[in-house]
Amino acid sequence: MSQETKTFVVTRFDPDKDEVPKTQSYEIPVEGDWKILDALNYIKDEVDPTLSHRWSCRMAVCGSCGMNVNGEPKLTCKDPVSNYGDTVEVAPLSNFPVVRDLVVELEGFMEKFKAVKPWIVVAKERAVEEGTTRQSPDELADFKQFSMCINCMLCYAACPVVSNEPDFIGPAALALGHRYNQDTRDEGAPERNEIFRDEGGVFSCSFANECSEVCPKKVNPAGAIQQAKLRNVLDWAASFVVKRGGKES
Amino acid sequence: MKTLMLKLEPIIWGLFSGGMMVGGILLPVFVLVVGLGGGFGAVDGQALGYDRIQALATHPIGSLLLLAAMALPLWGGAHHLRHLWIDLGGLKSDGLVGALCYGVALVGSLVAILAVFRLHG
Repeated sequence: MSQETKTFVVTRFDPDKDEVPKTQSYEIPVEGDWKILDALNYIKDEVDPTLSHRWSCRMAVCGSCGMNVNGEPKLTCKDPVSNYGDTVEVAPLSNFPVVRDLVVELEGFMEKFKAVKPWIVVAKERAVEEGTTRQSPDELADFKQFSMCINCMLCYAACPVVSNEPDFIGPAALALGHRYNQDTRDEGAPERNEIFRDEGGVFSCSFANECSEVCPKKVNPAGAIQQAKLRNVLDWAASFVVKRGGKES
Repeated sequence: MKTLMLKLEPIIWGLFSGGMMVGGILLPVFVLVVGLGGGFGAVDGQALGYDRIQALATHPIGSLLLLAAMALPLWGGAHHLRHLWIDLGGLKSDGLVGALCYGVALVGSLVAILAVFRLHG
């Protein structure tokens, strides 16, 4: 079997030395079944140990290895090198501060997640004696898709609103908030909807749908946000008829 | 202005989504039936006669539909233009552009309401 080579043009940035990011090219042999992450690991192990990139599970579960490949946000452990030509550009995810090389800062992203209260909110905890909370398959289907997110942040890198409005809560976090609003065990929708309607909430979304296009787990955050918008319109209209906060079942 | 728009965001989005439905789905069918169907003889000319259309337009449901067909797409367009402006990097002037877009939609809606009222003589 003849060995193929490809050139990887990788963005490098050392905050101690560099003012702005620069690129470095590596021409390496690649195997036919490699993913982009395999190529980066090869570079780090065999060519240049100073390259920094984040990864863990190698099976599209941990969400660590998101990067821009030829300008598009990709989960590099899932992205075959065979999809690309002789030259492949690998850069850190857009819309995030860069810590070093291909590693981005997660702090702001994590804060946005916390803002939507991504847990089951109940006024009163159920006692164990009351038994389990039952949920039908249909009720589960209302939110299951939105709970498949692995926090890879590709949607934040793809979203035009995130790049323009730093305060925008963003696709993954809004979809996760909506996931809990849709959960029959949850009573936190009024609190979350206040946040959803506030600055940087669901109505900042211009439905470019890029988040759903790039999502490696087919979570469809854009769909979740549109559902949340509709729910908030109805919730807002209902607030004129029913006392605020008392309309959620 | 920004706070006011934030407060009104649910109603604006409601009007916008209504406008996209009307503008994207109902109006093309309307144009096809009335504009082309009548002209090419696929729809009976009598059915689109002045008296019948006048009766339809002055019926409460007909008037509401007419109003929706005229006013809602204005809000659809206004909201789209505002968000296009933000996506192009115009967040700083969002207040002004938003006021302008929604202002035009509001004036247009008032004109539409006036026009429908005048149909009733």
